[in-house]
This record gives sequence, C-alpha cells and structure tokens, in this order.
Amino acid sequence: MTELTQNLIDGLGRGSIYALLALGVAIVFGVMHLLNFAHGEMITVGGYLTYWTALQGWSWWVAAPLVLVGAVVTSLVIERVAFSRVRGSSDFTLLLTSFGVHFVVSAMFLLYVSASVKTFDRPGWVADTYAVGPLRVEVFDTVVITTAVVTLLGTSLLLNRTMFGLSLRAAAADFDTARLMGVRSDTVIRGAFALSGLLAGIAGIFWLMRAGSTVPSAGIDPMLKGVLAALIGGLGSLRGAVAGGFVLGIAEVVLRSRLPDGIAGLTEGVVFVLIALLFIFRPQGLVSVARAERV
Amino acid sequence: MFPDRRRDVALPLLGAAVLWVVFVGGGLLYEMVAGGAAERLVTVMFIDAIVVLGIGIYVGNTGILSFGHIGFGSIAGYTFALFAIAPTEKLKRIPDAPFGLAEVSVGPWGAVVIAVLVTVAVAAVIGVGLARSGAESGAVAATVITLALLFVTHEVARNWPDLTGGERAGLFFTIGGALDSRIPVVVCLAGAVVVARLFATSRSGRLAIVAREDNLAARAMGVNPLVQQMIALLLSVAVVSIGASLRVYEDGSILPGNFFFSYTLLTLVMLIVGGRNSVTGAIVGVAVITAARELARRLGQDGFEVFGVGLDGPPLDWVFRENLQTVVLGVAMLGFMLWRPGGLLDDWELDRWLGRTRAGDAGDPPDDPAPQSPRDRVLVVRDVEVAFGGFRALDRAGIEATTSEVVGIIGPNGAGKTTLLNVVTGVVAPDSGTVILGDLDLTGRPPHHVARAGLVRTFQNLRLFSALTVRENVEGAALAARAGLRDRNDDRAVPGVDDLIVAAGLWEHADRRARELDYGNSRRLELARAAAAAPDFLFLDEPTSGMNDAESLAMVQQVRRMAALVGAGVVVIDHDLNFITSICDRVYCLDQGRVIAQGTPAEVKANPLVQRAYLGGAEPS
Amino acid sequence: MLEVAGLTARYGAIAALRDAELRVGSGEVIGLIGPNGAGKTTLLNCIAGLVSPAGGTVSFDGEEVTGWAPERLVRSGLALVPEHRRIFVDLTVAENLRIGGVTVPGPQRAQRLAEMGERFEVLADKWDTPAGYLSGGEAQQLAIARALVSRPRLLMMDEPSLGLAPVLVDLVFDLIDELRAEGTSLLVVEQNASRLLAVADRAYVLRSGEIVATGTGEQLAARADLFDAYVGPSVDGESP
Repeated sequence: MTELTQNLIDGLGRGSIYALLALGVAIVFGVMHLLNFAHGEMITVGGYLTYWTALQGWSWWVAAPLVLVGAVVTSLVIERVAFSRVRGSSDFTLLLTSFGVHFVVSAMFLLYVSASVKTFDRPGWVADTYAVGPLRVEVFDTVVITTAVVTLLGTSLLLNRTMFGLSLRAAAADFDTARLMGVRSDTVIRGAFALSGLLAGIAGIFWLMRAGSTVPSAGIDPMLKGVLAALIGGLGSLRGAVAGGFVLGIAEVVLRSRLPDGIAGLTEGVVFVLIALLFIFRPQGLVSVARAERV
Repeated sequence: MFPDRRRDVALPLLGAAVLWVVFVGGGLLYEMVAGGAAERLVTVMFIDAIVVLGIGIYVGNTGILSFGHIGFGSIAGYTFALFAIAPTEKLKRIPDAPFGLAEVSVGPWGAVVIAVLVTVAVAAVIGVGLARSGAESGAVAATVITLALLFVTHEVARNWPDLTGGERAGLFFTIGGALDSRIPVVVCLAGAVVVARLFATSRSGRLAIVAREDNLAARAMGVNPLVQQMIALLLSVAVVSIGASLRVYEDGSILPGNFFFSYTLLTLVMLIVGGRNSVTGAIVGVAVITAARELARRLGQDGFEVFGVGLDGPPLDWVFRENLQTVVLGVAMLGFMLWRPGGLLDDWELDRWLGRTRAGDAGDPPDDPAPQSPRDRVLVVRDVEVAFGGFRALDRAGIEATTSEVVGIIGPNGAGKTTLLNVVTGVVAPDSGTVILGDLDLTGRPPHHVARAGLVRTFQNLRLFSALTVRENVEGAALAARAGLRDRNDDRAVPGVDDLIVAAGLWEHADRRARELDYGNSRRLELARAAAAAPDFLFLDEPTSGMNDAESLAMVQQVRRMAALVGAGVVVIDHDLNFITSICDRVYCLDQGRVIAQGTPAEVKANPLVQRAYLGGAEPS
Repeated sequence: MLEVAGLTARYGAIAALRDAELRVGSGEVIGLIGPNGAGKTTLLNCIAGLVSPAGGTVSFDGEEVTGWAPERLVRSGLALVPEHRRIFVDLTVAENLRIGGVTVPGPQRAQRLAEMGERFEVLADKWDTPAGYLSGGEAQQLAIARALVSRPRLLMMDEPSLGLAPVLVDLVFDLIDELRAEGTSLLVVEQNASRLLAVADRAYVLRSGEIVATGTGEQLAARADLFDAYVGPSVDGESP
C-alpha cells in the first residue's frame, strides 16, 4: 500500500510534465489537425538557452523565464515559417512537415553549436526529499505538481473565461463557422501555438532541471511523451490529453518499480505494449471525441 | 480485364529490369570513375534502395505514413546478427543471451530467413493495432504508433545488453569477413524492385491504392482496407527485413543507433523526394539523396573551391561545415513537403511510360455487350429511426425494392433521403429498424460487407479515386466485385471493365485521371464504377445534381443501360422530378424523416402533400 | 447594399455557380430559392467569404469585397447563419452568443447578450446549457441570435426552417418580419418557398448553378410553373 502511494506520488510528478506537453499537442491538433512532431523543439531551444545562461554564470532564476520566452518564440516562429504554409493540407503532408521541422532545428544545433552533450548544473534542491509519514516525497515533485496544477487551472480559466479561449474552442470545434462569427484564423492559430509553446516551456523548465544537459536531438523524448499522452487520452480532447499525461506518468513509474530487475530497463517497451493493447481494445483513446463523417 | 498479362506483369517486369540495370549500372560506373573509395558508398546505396522500396510498399500504396519501418529493420537486424554470428563470437560478447541463443548458429542466409520470419510475425501483431486505431482515429493515430514502435525497439536494444550487446558494445562479428561480395545485394535489389512494382499492380495492391485515394468510397465498393493494408505491411516489412539484414552484414556490426532516427529520416527523405507513390520515384530518390548527401558531406569536410572562391573559408564557411548532410536531409524533407509534396516524380512509373509509347491511342471500343438478366432479390427496409443529437433525421422510414424495377426517393432538403441511403449501405447505424436483402439481415453491417452482399452506392458529392485513371477507377471496383459474387454464390460474369467504360461514354477518356474529368463525365464515372462492383442493387445519390436538363435526360438512358448491363435493380435519390418521372417505376416521397407518399411517379407528383413538402404553404384541405 | 456580378464558383471540376447576378437593396428582404444542388448555399458561402469565387465580383456598401476573409466581412457588417445551424454543441448557449460577439468590444458585448436573452426567451432559460442539448427550434434560434450579436446590416440565412416543426417555422418567419422592421437587410435561402415568397420583397430562383428567374415575391408565387422550376420541366414540356 505504502509502495503504491509512493508510486502514485512519483507518477503524478512525472505525469504533470507529460500532461502539460500533451495539452499543448492537443491544443494545436484541435485548431489545425496537425500532430506536431516538432513539439519538443521548444525544449531543445530552452535547453541551449539554459546552457548559455549557465556559461554566463547566471542562475535558474534567469534561465527559467528565458526558457519560457524561448519556447513561445520558437513555437511562433515554427508556425510562421513552416506550418502556416501547409494549413489544410493532407495528414501526410502535415505530419512530415512537422517531422521535417524537428530535423531542421536539431540539425541547426548540430551544425552551429555542437554534436556533443552540453551539461549545466541542476538546481541544488532537485534531489532533496522530505518525509510524510512513511513516504519520501521529492521537493522537486512537489514543485512540479503544484506548478502543473496551477498552470492547468490557469489554462482552464483562459480557455473558459476569456474571449481568446472561447475563440480557440470554437475554432477547434468548427473552424469555418468560427470565422463566420468573426474569429480571426491567424489570431487563433498563432494563439494556439503561443499557448502550446508556453505550456511546453513550463514543462521544459522542469524537464531540463531534471536532465541537467541537452543535445541537438533533446526534443524527441518530450515530444514523444506529449504525443503519446495526447493519443492515449483521445486525439482532439483537451481533458483527455491531460488525463493521458497523468496515466502515462503513473504507468511508467509503477512499471519501473514493479518490473523484475532484469527487465526494468524495458519499461518503455512494456508501456508501448500496453498502449498498443489500449488501441486494439479502445481505439478512440480514453476520452472519445464524437466525429461525424459527412457523406 | 485484370490481370492484363502485358500491362500488369510483363511491362512492370520490363520496367523493373530497366530500372535495375540503369541504377546498378550507374552505381558501378560512378565507382569506376571515382575509384575504390566509392565502393562502400555504392553498396550502401543499393542496400538503402532495398529498404526504401520496402517502406514504399506500405507507405506508397496505403498512404499511411510510417516511422516504424526502421524499427522493424532493427528487429530484423538484431535477429539476423544473433543467428548469423558464430557461437564463439557470441560467447565473448553476450554469453548470457536468453533462449540459448548464444549457442545457435545457422549461417548468414539462414539468419536472413529467420530475421524475415520473426519480423513479419511481430509486424502481424502490430498491424492489428495499427488497423484498429487507424480505422477509428484516422491515419494520424497509426502514424504515432509506428513512431512509438521505433522508439521502443531502440529502447529495448539499448537496455537489453544480454541480447543486443547494449548501447556501446553492440554486436560485432565476422562471418568469414563482412559481406565480401556484392552479388547478393544486387540480386536482392532486383527482387525488391520486382516485388514492389508487381505488388502495386496486383489485386491486393490495387485495392490498397483505391482505399488510399478514398477510404469510404473503397469500402462502399466492397473493399476492406484493413485487409489490404495488412498484406502491404507484411510484404513491406519482409523486404525491409532483408535490407536491414544486408546492412548489418555489410557493416559487420549492429548498434542501437544504427536503426533509429537518422536512418528513418534518410529513408523517408529518399522515398518522398523521388515520389512515394512510385517505384521509379523511390529509386530516383535514393540516387538523388545519396548524391546530395555525399556532396554535402564532402563540402562540409574538405571545403571546395568553386570558380576560385574557397568555400571553406569566409564568407561561406558558416554554411559548409561538418554535419551539413543532416541539414540537407532536414531541409529536403521540409522543402518538399512545403512546395512539392508529391516528390519529383509523383506517381510516374517507367513501365507505364514504356507501355504508353507502344500502345498509341486507345484503340477501338468493344462492341455493345449483351445485357444480363437480374437475379430475383428483394430489399426490404423497415421502420428505420435515426437521431443525430436531438434531431430526428429518420422517423420510421422504410422502402421496398426488387431487382427488376427502378425505385425513386424524392423529398426536400433535409428530408432524410441521404441518411436513409447511409443506413442501408452501412455508413450510419440506425437506432432501430431493419435492412433485409433477400434472406440476409444487413442492419448495422459495415459498408464493405453491405457492398459484397450486393448493395453498391454512389455519392452525392462525388468520391472518385481522383488520382487514378478512369480505367483504374472502374477496375478497382471490378476487382472488389469478385469477392462479393463469390460470397453470394453468384456465378454471373464480372461486368467487363471496357464494356462499362464504353457504356458510360468514357472510352476516349479511359486513360485520363478522374480529377481531370468535367462534371458530367465524373458523374458518369461514378455510375460506371458502382456498376463494376457487380451489385444486385445500385443506389444512386443525386446522380443529376448540378446537371442541366439535357444532361439529366441523357442520364436516364445511362442509368438504364448500366443497370441492364450488370443486371441490377436501381434505387435513386433525386430532386429532379422530371428525371425521376422518366426513369422510375415507383417513387417514395420523404419529408421530415417520414415517408409521406408512394406510388407511380404521376401519383406522387400530383399528391398535394408532396407539393406542400417541396414548396411549403398551407395544409391541403 | 450588396451587389453580386458574374459570380462563378467551382469545386474541382464541378461548376457550382455560373455567372450569378444578384442585388440586395438597403432594408430589403431577398429570397433565394431552388432545388437541392442548385448552388444556393455556394452562392451564400461565396458572398460570406468561405468559398473563393472563380470569377465575378461581390460588392458590399459600394466597396469591392471579393475574396475577403469571412472574419473581415463580419466586421464590415455582413453575417451568415450557415446551413444546418452549425452551433458549437460543446459550448454553452451563453458561450455561443459570446463567440457571435467576438467582434464587439467587451462592455457592449454583455449588453448585446442581455438583449438576445430578452428577445429569445427560450435561450435565456438555458443560458448555461451546452448547446448540444437544445431542441431543433432552440438551436435555430441560437444560430440566428449568435449572428445578430454583431448587429449585421446584412444578414444571410441558409435554410433557417430546415427540419423545424410548423409552429417553429412560423417563429422563423416572424423573426424575418421583425428584422426587416428594424431595418436589417436580409438574404434568405429557404426550401419553404411559398412562405419565403410571401415575405420577400424580391426573390431569385436558382437552378443548376444559374439564376433562371427573378421578380417580386408575388410575381414568382403567382407563376404556375414555379413547382416545375423546382423539380424540372414537366414531361410534356410546357414550361420554359
């Protein structure tokens, strides 16, 4: 029981980051029907910004806001340079475009920074823990979970209470009709990318604090987690994406601690098998989005 | 008729042979000019070509983007290595390998066979998940699963050192030296070209392509895309497995990173730059990208002088740096997606070009074929209810039809005509009610099942296979028809494709793409395609919509002729009462989801309820 | 107010609209009738900016607006209530109306929403209900109210009575009368031709993508061959 609770807490910490990433993926998918394989590039850029601040001898208090700004700007630039040209294209084109963006960004870092791993110091408190009864809770997880909850609440307020959020939801439901009402397509798509970048930036700060290093291909892992979580939750559903993030995080932690020693390294493999099973038995994901096929 | 020996077998074989000779010859010629250093480059290019052709069998024919084929390659590569490496070597590197693999030795060619079998078995399992999620959530979900597969194989390879030697050690080996002859590679390449090209012209390949062009229309012709996609996947994985094994053999080693992102990027770029829908394109892409990458690598490494300007120093040294080839690949992928998503060749195929120059024009049309008499079958649709949200689209609607008559359904916009058709053909599941054909209960069955049972439809907003030619459109349906006739124990001859094209008045357009047709011809092609699926009942949704009066009247003859040719009854939805009057034996009028009148066309037209349904106005007294 | 000249639109090979000429004067109610597939919806979508015309021009208030984005046209005072209503089913009634007021400055928006609540009482009762739970009549009122929040000077409606029970159809036509009285110009596509012709100042009949007849409501309503214009010339060919 104690172990399970411990797993849950650890899993929530991990899942919080996945949930933020997945929500960003789902928001962009909603307005553009684009599954963004370049979603991790915001974190790659953030990683190098962090590395740069570390070189200057500045602290995380400088790096963190810089990562946020960097993520939002990167997201907007990618939209402007690449995705704005393929709006309304086929899935195939959209997917490969985002894949191409990932490669161009990482190749640029490869070419102009370095192919090798760049490290920076983690904040001192990342490894600290404190005891709650029989449980050991990481300070880091506490911060992550708190931040994520606040961010998710904030995002929820933004989506439900502001005109922009409303426009975003309307455009995701029916883009043309939203335009008929006067919702500007550029505003809403760029806004979606900015919001998605912001969420990735927040997740990225914690991702980088834990990683303590970056490489040109650093975006792949967070991207994959975000995309898988969004898919587990049911593509197109924002709530599903958040739920998918937590499910994925908890599943990973539980499996890692329960699998026999010999194959603990294969957690990712087992998670994939579970996801594959989920798709076989519940192909629409956890939260299904009704979609009518017009004939 | 399919298969046309010349067009579907002989010419593709000839085209494959020419492609192979030019490609292999070109590689060897380059090697002679460039010297021994190019030997490995050329060998690797041949192996890459096998892998790319393999990926193309799936991605090209089904239109589903897969990032996972290199993951399958990884599985094949490791399987190959585990079985091919001599036990003495394995005891040094992976003494604790599970399943007693450390002691096994089957020799390289046996290992290739095992690698293919193992990988295909894995693909079969994953294919089920791909098919199910793809059918539900679209191709995007399938693509993500393939991407996850790539990562998982990489993770497993890194984290199971007992089996794979782990991330750094990997598996190195000598089987009497690395691959020391190139003959196996070029032989396998020849095989890959032939298999890839012949699959695209095979029955299964054609049905996959048809479903790629329009999934719903394909299902409505009786094609089950999931089956064809599975066949394409297994075949494609087999070819990729052979390529991957050869790559490991050639390298003499395998590390987790060998079959990961960079190889996925490379092979995908090769595929899309040439044109993913074409075997010729795949080969061209491999050649172009190999050359571009080699050039970029050299530019990045040594620098070059062009017209006396040193590219290694200022002002251009910021471009020509190490790792330039990665940038080139990324930019190529992005650039082609943004500006030329079809690739250099799109779906241009060498053998079709060879065939066309020889055949000249279409030739004379065949004589008028004899009409067939229909089998007696009765369709009974009863008490169908459908609600969308709070909107009751159908309220206990029903129709009856026999194969010897033409039945019309009319009614104003929103009356539920198309919804009724969707229910009958399995596109929409009814909340209640039954659809019975003869002694078969078709209620709620999937569209391809309904089509095979003998109900085939057209679509109001035209769903042609737009990139395919007129003949390929009709042929696709005719191919699907065979399975349906077999299911029904119907020994009718499949309607001749040429006959149908002539009957539709499309003979001179037979080799044009469907998207190049004008509106009237597009409508006629939809009709011919539906007839080619050998139905007992043809369901036509607004066949004259957007036509002028003369065209509408011509359509009357067209529909009659087509139905007689295949021996089918007709159920037709239309708003054009004149068309309906001219063609129908009986007419139903729907309004607000209910049948408000039925009878002969004249009776229905004179019915005040009908006039009111169309024009509104006061309740008739 | 609205001037359409030589408008042509295609979907791929399909010419959905050929050389359409149409004019809506200030304060007029103009009807647009014709059979399924005649191009009525295409014509409205072209004017509203959802479909780019292949040729011809659209002018609004003397300014050429051909090819403008819909979000720009709304801001100049032209709104469309689309076919099948297309309300946002996951959003509440109030949220649907707020989206309709996206072009209206914040403070005024609240007031306009309150006005809609007064005008459409059924909506006021269901302010915080997701729009997907509304009945057909309520949904249609919401769709119209949503378009009215921006106070358009020209309101286009595509099949506003589609799928409604007769008593609700009355409601739609009463509303058309009210809007005319308030000075809003209207361009209405409607299957219920008799009702529409009874309220319309003028009407156009569209068939196979072409405008085949035009005149005042009474003129057209009096024409014996109107039914034929709808469903095709009768077999004995007495109509034009």
